[in-house]
Amino acid sequence: MSAPVVASGAPPARVLEPRDAQSLSEAVRELGSRGEAALVRGAGTELPEGNLPARADVVLSTLALRGIETLDADEGVARVAAGTPVEALRDAAREVGLDVPLDPPSARSTIGGALAAAAQGPRSLGFGRARDAVLGLDVVLGSGERTRCGGRVVKNVTGYDLAKLYVGSLGTLAVLTHAWLRLRPVPEMTQVLIAVVSDGSASFEAALTAARLPGASAVALVDAPLAAEAGPFLPEAGEGRLVLIAELAADEPVVAAGATQLAASVGAERASEDAVALLRSIEGSRGEPRFADTLRFRVTSRAARLEAAYGVLRRAGAHVVVHPGLGLLAARFHVDPDAGTERIDACFAAANASAKAGEGSARLVAGPAAARAGRDVFGPEPEPRAILSRLRASFDPKRVLNPGIMAGRIA
Amino acid sequence: MTTPARARLLDALRAAVGADALLCRAEELFVYECDGLTHHAARPFAVVLPRTSDEVVEIVRACAKAGVPFVPRGAGTGLSGGAVALADGVVIECARMNRVLEIDPVDRVAVVQPGVVNADLSKVAAPHGLHFAPDPSSQLACTIGGNVAENSGGPHTLKYGSTTAHVLALELVLADGDRVRIGSRAGGEPGYDLVGAVVGGEGTLGVVTEATLRLTPLPEAVETLLGIFPDVVSACHAVGAVIRSGLVPAALEIVDRRTIEAVEASVYAAGLPLDAGAVLIAELDGPAVALPRQVERVRALCARAGATRIEVARDADERQRFWKARKGAFGAMGRLAPDLYVHDAVVPRSKLPEVLAEICAIGDRHGLRLSNVFHAGDGNLHPNISFDRRDADEMARVLAAGTEILELCVRAGGVISGEHGIGTEKQDFMPLLFSPDDLGAMRRLRDAFDPDHRSNPGKIFPTTRACVESNPKARGYERVSFDA
Ligand SMILES: Cc1cc2nc3c(=O)[nH]c(=O)nc-3n(C[C@H](O)[C@H](O)[C@H](O)COP(=O)(O)OP(=O)(O)OC[C@H]3O[C@@H](n4cnc5c(N)ncnc54)[C@H](O)[C@@H]3O)c2cc1C
Repeated sequence: MSAPVVASGAPPARVLEPRDAQSLSEAVRELGSRGEAALVRGAGTELPEGNLPARADVVLSTLALRGIETLDADEGVARVAAGTPVEALRDAAREVGLDVPLDPPSARSTIGGALAAAAQGPRSLGFGRARDAVLGLDVVLGSGERTRCGGRVVKNVTGYDLAKLYVGSLGTLAVLTHAWLRLRPVPEMTQVLIAVVSDGSASFEAALTAARLPGASAVALVDAPLAAEAGPFLPEAGEGRLVLIAELAADEPVVAAGATQLAASVGAERASEDAVALLRSIEGSRGEPRFADTLRFRVTSRAARLEAAYGVLRRAGAHVVVHPGLGLLAARFHVDPDAGTERIDACFAAANASAKAGEGSARLVAGPAAARAGRDVFGPEPEPRAILSRLRASFDPKRVLNPGIMAGRIA
Repeated sequence: MTTPARARLLDALRAAVGADALLCRAEELFVYECDGLTHHAARPFAVVLPRTSDEVVEIVRACAKAGVPFVPRGAGTGLSGGAVALADGVVIECARMNRVLEIDPVDRVAVVQPGVVNADLSKVAAPHGLHFAPDPSSQLACTIGGNVAENSGGPHTLKYGSTTAHVLALELVLADGDRVRIGSRAGGEPGYDLVGAVVGGEGTLGVVTEATLRLTPLPEAVETLLGIFPDVVSACHAVGAVIRSGLVPAALEIVDRRTIEAVEASVYAAGLPLDAGAVLIAELDGPAVALPRQVERVRALCARAGATRIEVARDADERQRFWKARKGAFGAMGRLAPDLYVHDAVVPRSKLPEVLAEICAIGDRHGLRLSNVFHAGDGNLHPNISFDRRDADEMARVLAAGTEILELCVRAGGVISGEHGIGTEKQDFMPLLFSPDDLGAMRRLRDAFDPDHRSNPGKIFPTTRACVESNPKARGYERVSFDA
């Protein structure tokens, strides 16, 4: 009866696309009563992030829940349906001088998907965490009830902060249908600076200092081979060198002061390209075919340990983008399509060793289904297991939503 | 509990913490009967004062064995009845767990025990150019444990966010005595965001025994403006204009005429003009190069909104004088009558003018001394009512006015607490905002941490009786008593 997801990584063919929250709630109940499981999906064209689902009978798409219901420029808040692309909200917000403090990997990412995955991007440095952008959520629980939490106001301690629990839950507790988000003013000025620096402690310190400059909105260190991939957009770094990219977004005098400081400390020069777009194209988004033969990990690290975590990854042959202000390393390993499991295991071991050096954690964010089969992409057993399992069991007692994809492969 | 059972529990508690850290005589327990919400009182069975998380584990195990609930408590400055032990519970006062375990200036992180006083942490961090950003007005007394439990805010929450934005990891003793660590210093840990769920949990999800907190750099420069307005409505319009302009001030606080009068008649007198209808304190912080222009923009927006006078603090002393009116407000109001009810609700900022006018009308209608001092930039209102709880009639009017205020704020698109929490104070108003299914989702969280409802029972969730009686919206819902 069970419907294992095929190793090719293809999602089930049957797609449900409810038109409103009520029909979504009915669909979830119906699946529960039939003992079926759903892959919850926003714009994704592949399997959801996380572990391979334990079973998947249908795709439950939020794409038909679309639209900006409120954009209150005076208040700086918006209410938006979960299937709305983040970029659509951003475009609308920009018209009134506001921005959406979310930076998901793909231009097609939906609000629901970005929140469910607690997606991070280079600009998360200036934006803050996805969870902190959320004021309130309407959700359909795994058990089918339509419920809400939070509200539309910017400060709120009325009851438990369930939104925090839903954000980052990869749709395993509830399907998000609508969100109240806090927008933020577009800074007066944005400027990108680039420098070639040596691969050593001084550069890591300089990068952390850059990330802590007032107005720093995105800061990354890119290793030489990855920089070379970005072709004419980045300077030639050369072996043993790194490229530092810094975006400053603030009032004009603050940007000017930051730029002066970066010029003095690392010889940074003004660049015309959009640093963030560059970083994204280097790191790539999940579905791109050019990355079919790679394993990509996200490693977190304490600020003080970034260089150590980086060193472990580089010695294991990974190419790395370091986001010092986020305590984050994006690592890419090349893996031959017909490589054995030892190679894949070695990549996981290196990512976990890097996380250990950084006192953080590592997760596989993209790679062929074969790399996910039989493994927990989130690394070691999550703690405290009992509470995580109880939460899953009580929000989704029939295991309808994305079973098995969460850390610990909790059913 | 039978007498032998009581004796056994006391023995177990004494064994856990030592005789000098156990209070059980009536005169000792008296001060633990309430928190800052003085009209909600209940006497605990006993109070214990652990020094370590090992002791907390022992205490919680003893309670579990005896089938007795427990209540974590910090300084007892809470304003929603959160730290009061119902049902003969044991109060676990964390005040002696007051060590700062680590300050890491590179990671910008502090690791502390829960009894550390909010302001003390910032003091310890200051030599590193850092501070703990949440700054409740009670910060000289309130503890990190209480801040975490209430997700406390303060004037500077406008720019820096409430406590939840500053907590990275927690050690928590669960109601069954298990000790767990949630969250991580580096971030990105696998699994659900349990830290996000526990912050604001009001002590119902376990006892926080250690917190890893984010420290924030002290701003390079600070500018503070004091705007004098003819009335509170024009001050609110100024706040709306500043928010809309794209400026992100560190704080935007309003003090209304009634508060000004009380402050100026008290030891907190700040030299404010008595004919002012309202005062707006606007603080800007950040890089020195950015501030002069921002100050001018705020000044212009205030003038356009009708400010009759705008001063900019010339030095730290003057800044302090400006803040005196704000910070002394509770003290000054507290002198007007034996009791002070500090309300807490939030409305969309654009609704502030009309909501405030209506709040004052509600106070007048009930013949109460009501004043307002609030976090205007966040839309977070604090209507304060000075009263005497021994006067039954006045008490009834205070409660009636409170109900009307909350209903008004909810009608305006707001919520019933912005920083003080629900506790016992507002549990029966929860149905104003949340359906039984919404509350059911919250119960699932509670049950995952504390299935037997032993950690601070009787809080947050509506009681069966009062809920149906006092709440028209609740009628017709089937309600289950939350804590047997
Ligand atoms: C004059 C005055 C001004 C105030 N101003 C503000 C303000 O500006 N902003 C604001 O947000 N609040 C304010 N408050 C309210 C109060 O100070 C805060 O809620 C504060 O965080 C409570 O801290 P406490 O240590 O006194 O906690 P307590 O009152 O002792 O406890 C509060 C809650 O926290 C729980 N708790 C305490 N310690 C722990 C622990 N270790 N683990 C788990 N749960 C725990 C308790 O069970 C209880 O539910 C003010 C209060 C007063 C009296």
